[in-house]
Amino acid sequence: MFITTNSVRAALIVSLHAVTVATALAADSSAKQGAAVPDFTIDSKSPWLMVGDELLPAPSGPGPVTFDKRYPYVDNAAARRTGTQPTYRVADLSNPILQPWAVEQMRKANDWVLAGKVLFRARERCYPAGVPGWVIYTLAEPIFILQTEKQVTMINQGGPEVRRIYLDVPHSPNPKPSWYGESVSDYDGNDTLVAESIAISTETFIDSYGTPHTDQLHVVERYKLIDGGKMMEVLISIEDPGAFTTPWSAMQRFRRVPREWSEDICAENNLDFLQYEVVPLPQADKPDF
Amino acid sequence: MSIFWIFARAGFVWTAILAIPAMSGSAYAETPDISGTYWATEYRAKIQLVGGSDLPLTEAGKAAYEKNMAGLKDGSITDAARKYCVPDGLPRVLATPYPFEIIQAPPGQVTIIHELNHQVRVVAMDKPMPSEKDLTTFPFYNGHSVGHFEGDTLVIETAGFNEKTFIDAAGAPHTDEMRTVERIRRISPTQLEDVITIHDPQYYSRDWQARFVYNLRNDVRLEDYVCGEPHRDLSSVAGVRRP
Repeated sequence: MFITTNSVRAALIVSLHAVTVATALAADSSAKQGAAVPDFTIDSKSPWLMVGDELLPAPSGPGPVTFDKRYPYVDNAAARRTGTQPTYRVADLSNPILQPWAVEQMRKANDWVLAGKVLFRARERCYPAGVPGWVIYTLAEPIFILQTEKQVTMINQGGPEVRRIYLDVPHSPNPKPSWYGESVSDYDGNDTLVAESIAISTETFIDSYGTPHTDQLHVVERYKLIDGGKMMEVLISIEDPGAFTTPWSAMQRFRRVPREWSEDICAENNLDFLQYEVVPLPQADKPDF
Repeated sequence: MSIFWIFARAGFVWTAILAIPAMSGSAYAETPDISGTYWATEYRAKIQLVGGSDLPLTEAGKAAYEKNMAGLKDGSITDAARKYCVPDGLPRVLATPYPFEIIQAPPGQVTIIHELNHQVRVVAMDKPMPSEKDLTTFPFYNGHSVGHFEGDTLVIETAGFNEKTFIDAAGAPHTDEMRTVERIRRISPTQLEDVITIHDPQYYSRDWQARFVYNLRNDVRLEDYVCGEPHRDLSSVAGVRRP
């Protein structure tokens, strides 16, 4: 069913809608347009796995909240590698990006963790990741990226969680706040997808330290293929004059992994979280319909 | 199992014959486009069989159905798809009163994404069904699906289900031996039809079919769905009763 030459495959990726029975010529013309678009997809079994579940500092400028040096954060993978104990996160509240009210809110989160309790993390409680939390949702599950003519659909197998980025359209005049906000995007050159997100629910956190934001949050993500397409890097610019003293930026990296789709339903395994005092899973007191 | 394959092969022969005119010429470039956002205009809690008959339950099927209905009524059985928003599974998800997307990507795959419970169905195109060992080792809510086009119709075969779902909201049962075949096609420029055949001989004495029709609604964007929150207005879908 799928044509094997690289140029036409590129066309299929960006214009699957357009590839119909009678449009061989149109497919050729799409191939020329498609050549300029990065291929984050390749096929159904080459998704992306994040290299870590922390926002990384960008090459320069103010950066994301990291751990308090007195309480080093060790993720599960690092603990396995080094034979040490994984830890929960304690935020470095001296980060100058944080406004005083955010520091105070996060101090409570730190105290909660230092008291031996478990801080809310979207993935652990089956809540949506939000943006930019999407890029650090889970180390363990791959992200599949589906590129079509009008939309980029990103699926995190864990959950699963689905996020949509609309191509070549402006933001709506008054988008309703939602867990993933409203994302619009464009391709920049032949290697980058630029996604701009607003109207992100204030129930989401920026990261897994509980860094809060307001309804003024504005996020620009630049997804770029690097290392010959074996890796994907995301540069993230964040502005929110309601929560941060300054615009700041962060980074995340993903590696392509050979994985086929598997069903991983968050809500079925996490009702009891080892009897810790945690936020209940999303559930309905009465059926939706 | 064997009856199913006879049925499936017979179906394939007929559709292959019918599909010959459509497949002449350079067949492999001719992937029909059924992508889009779709939304039903009616919802039925109880599945309706093509032909209007009752579910052809075996004795074991009848007992399972009665147990489910009684348990759902007295609360001893939880409808996890509505309480915790785990996937509805097939064929219940086809009755969804929420919109869903069909995306013909990545290459070699058709992906169906539902707003309800953010369910994802992955259909591997032109691939063989996974082995019986894989199907039984990794049972899924939505099963394991393989698909191919017969003319303009997407044919999806699914097997390897878990037993955590119901056939419908009334609690009609199925076993993990259930196999389904869906035939999905555009019946007009703005409507999509999915006719599903259910094969589950432990609980049903014959294969039976149900039919679902959806309107093409590319004007609708799918929304985030988190269990227990207020969700989109469904007043355009007849038969939806919100408690």
